[in-house]
Amino acid sequence: MKNRAFMIIGLAVLLVFVVTAIFQEQIAPYSPYEQSGKPFERPSGEHIFGTNDIGQDIFSELVYGTRNSLLVGLISATISLALGIIIGVSAGWFGGTTDHILSQITTFFMTIPFLPSVIILSTFTRGGIWSMSIILGFLSWPGIARVLRTTTMQIKESYAIKIIKGMGASDAYIILRHVIPELLPLIAYRAVTRVKAGILSESTMSFLGLGNPIAKSWGSTIYYAQAKNALLNGSWVWWIIPPGVCICLISMALMLIAYEFENMRSSKKEAT
Amino acid sequence: MKKRLFHYVIILLVVIAVNFFIPRALPGSPIRSLVADEDIVEMTAEKKMGILEAYHLTDPLYKQFGYYIRDLFTLNWGTSFSKRLPIAQLMRSAAKWTLLLSGITMILSVFTGSLIGAYSALHRKKGRDLGMVLGTTFISSIPSFWIAILLLAVFSAKLGWFPAYGAYSMWSKAEGFAKVLDVAWHMVLPVIALVITSLMPYFTTSRYSVLKTISSDYVRMARFRGIPEKKINVGYIMRNALVPVFTMLMMDIGYLLSGSVLVETVFSFPGLGVLMRDAVSARDYPLIQYTFLVSSVLTIAALFAADVLYHKIDPSLEESYEK
Repeated sequence: MKNRAFMIIGLAVLLVFVVTAIFQEQIAPYSPYEQSGKPFERPSGEHIFGTNDIGQDIFSELVYGTRNSLLVGLISATISLALGIIIGVSAGWFGGTTDHILSQITTFFMTIPFLPSVIILSTFTRGGIWSMSIILGFLSWPGIARVLRTTTMQIKESYAIKIIKGMGASDAYIILRHVIPELLPLIAYRAVTRVKAGILSESTMSFLGLGNPIAKSWGSTIYYAQAKNALLNGSWVWWIIPPGVCICLISMALMLIAYEFENMRSSKKEAT
Repeated sequence: MKKRLFHYVIILLVVIAVNFFIPRALPGSPIRSLVADEDIVEMTAEKKMGILEAYHLTDPLYKQFGYYIRDLFTLNWGTSFSKRLPIAQLMRSAAKWTLLLSGITMILSVFTGSLIGAYSALHRKKGRDLGMVLGTTFISSIPSFWIAILLLAVFSAKLGWFPAYGAYSMWSKAEGFAKVLDVAWHMVLPVIALVITSLMPYFTTSRYSVLKTISSDYVRMARFRGIPEKKINVGYIMRNALVPVFTMLMMDIGYLLSGSVLVETVFSFPGLGVLMRDAVSARDYPLIQYTFLVSSVLTIAALFAADVLYHKIDPSLEESYEK
């Protein structure tokens, strides 16, 4: 029962970030796109994390960065789940040649090196939220497809499915009404870990300067802080630590939720 | 074995083809990606044509592809306009540093990760799991570039214990052992940053598999037979628990290279990561492409090596693969 605590902590932290992302205009004390103080101000009552090199409020930058991170995480996870479910389930369900071809494609996408591919694709697309999410989504579905394929195969062999099939139900009906619901706990777990990975990748890309240069993002805050020598004048304490803590917190929250999903799934399996 | 080699060769070919087609599929004159922007303004039309001809860009596509393949194998990769050096030469030295960094990281994180994991499984106390879950999720949530910057800020900008920049002292004439020490000293912080962020999978895998082995019948039997605890731990438990750790390593090898790319940029460590970042910020497209190509080839080679080794360690996999 102790594990419920993880779920509650995770959801609470996530909720704080989601609320921040939705009400960013109301929460941020200043607009992060406009100068609101002198450059390189130390933290004070007016600017709790100080200001950056051109006098923008760092705390407001973090608030605005939340939406960016969450959106890229969500959209990229949606794309990769959709691809993973379609490819994994059809490979597992139809078997034979379909399975063979789809499995080859899956293995191929699994072996191409992730970060170099992300970098080369995003230098040529100059990414906003959408192009970033599409790139991440298209490169990250194989893990999901592979797991779903194996599980679908097991489900297909189950007694219940064989009976339904014997009664003449169509493939589409069985997949939508019986296979997918059966797979849901697994999909939920994967969805949460995918969102987390998407958020981490987004901050990584922005940190490398591959994101949209105008949009605010936690990664790009760190990138600019490093580029403007925050390490030398000691301002890293309030300029670099807070965005990193945000990334850590949101990813921890998602991992705790995923952990809980995983636990539910394994305890259910033991019960049956 | 042959089938697997075939698989990796196909992937290699696709990567090579993608590298050829992506820049050509883009709108705009290729001149813009071959020459720095400020130089274009001063160029005459003949000069532009001359450059296009030098790169064979006036030929039909299939001929261009032929030249591309030939140049690829003769290492005639052209000159980087932002670095003003032959690309092949830049790649060779960068790849060397990246391999060194990620190799050391790999060995250290596998060892420390699986040792701590095994230790924590063997000395498990009830009620500690909560802290364990929170601790592991925290450590695996840390972005590698961020921890690298923090280490840099504390241990080199503030305390001055370690150098902040590069892989060796620029102007020193140290030779032999002194040089090795110098490089090692430069690598301490990058390696720590990388080990912290890549050790968690090994920790959890080895902990889990040791926990599973402890309660297996043959370990219990060994206890009944009065075999000393130490011998059971090492010879009976660890030996079997390490196979999954190796699986983890195999799945993770590409990630290790990526991680080192990121941490390198923080420390300006002269590897592929820094080269890629510089190329991206200078819009030096030929250099970007070849860093992509070289790092992809390295990753694929590492995956292939791991794949072969893996099947040697656990021959029972051979059958399931053939299915």
